[in-house]
Amino acid sequence: MTVGSQLKNTLAGLKGAQATIRLYAQQTRHEQSQIAFQEGLIILSEVVASLAGRLQEIELAEPQYKSV
Amino acid sequence: MPVWVDGLLRSLGLFLLVFAAIRILGKKHPVATSPFHFVVYSVVAVMTALLAVNIIPNFDFALAALATWVFLPLLLDYLALHSKALYQLLHGKETIIIKQGKVMEENLKQVRLSGEGLLKGLRAKNVFSVADVEFAVLETSGELSLLLKADKRPVAPHDLEWKVMPQLEPQTVILDGNILHDSLRRLGLTLQWLQTQLECSGVSLENVFLGQVNSAGELYVDLFDDLIQLPNPSVREMVFASLQQAQAELLKYSLSTEDPQSKKQFADDSTKVQQVVEKLRPHLLR
Repeated sequence: MTVGSQLKNTLAGLKGAQATIRLYAQQTRHEQSQIAFQEGLIILSEVVASLAGRLQEIELAEPQYKSV
Repeated sequence: MPVWVDGLLRSLGLFLLVFAAIRILGKKHPVATSPFHFVVYSVVAVMTALLAVNIIPNFDFALAALATWVFLPLLLDYLALHSKALYQLLHGKETIIIKQGKVMEENLKQVRLSGEGLLKGLRAKNVFSVADVEFAVLETSGELSLLLKADKRPVAPHDLEWKVMPQLEPQTVILDGNILHDSLRRLGLTLQWLQTQLECSGVSLENVFLGQVNSAGELYVDLFDDLIQLPNPSVREMVFASLQQAQAELLKYSLSTEDPQSKKQFADDSTKVQQVVEKLRPHLLR
């Protein structure tokens, strides 16, 4: 596996976790949990954005490894 | 009027009367309250029985006595709410049996409790060794209440310095195959949501004996057909695991890359995910 596809894998895993946490943030009835989930989501979206940026850079630098 | 009609009417009337009286006397369990209440309940019961089978010839006289025994305790109870002295007079005072791990023999004698009796009371509370008890009180209802020594108490999450997810009471949404629309509405959930959830676990509504939604919004169902094994979805544990995996992978990239700028970026991201993991641990795992 190239670095690019490894990164893509991690990114996908993070996005999946993000989606499930968003679901729990919606359906949890306790306010304290809701707040914790939402705060976690904010940090996660920062990480996802930074990782996506890095992935773009790699694909630009080594277009021969670009996966579809 | 034939005798049997008289008896029927008498019993019926008394039944309703005593039913109302017991309701008024309160929610306390007759055995668990003070001896005073026990006597009151007994007198009311015996008097009603005697009245019902016509042993007391004068009906009005008996009714007056019955009313006294119902309303006087009520009045005393009400007064006892405001006066501590009266409360102690009515209910007695609890007696300290064990203090700082030592049995108070004089108090035992005072309440006429033998050593055997004390051991029996402790065993009823699942305590077999007197050495484990810090403090014990004989309540006026005759029950033994005790405080275990600090190192013998059951462990609570607080003792382990665990943060745990706050939990609300679960709401029952399905009972005997019927959807309880009221509690669904209280949760802000729709019928479609419930149907989707049931479809996901592959069961039909008719087969569900009981369905509860916990405070995380997850549905638990118990089926009539106990042979069907339901998948046990541990979605929250899986999310937690995938977060931890992402954190480890980011750390690995930061270690393996040689470009200093991206090294730092990956390390920062890994720390951030670690933060989320710690923040959500109580909500996802406990």
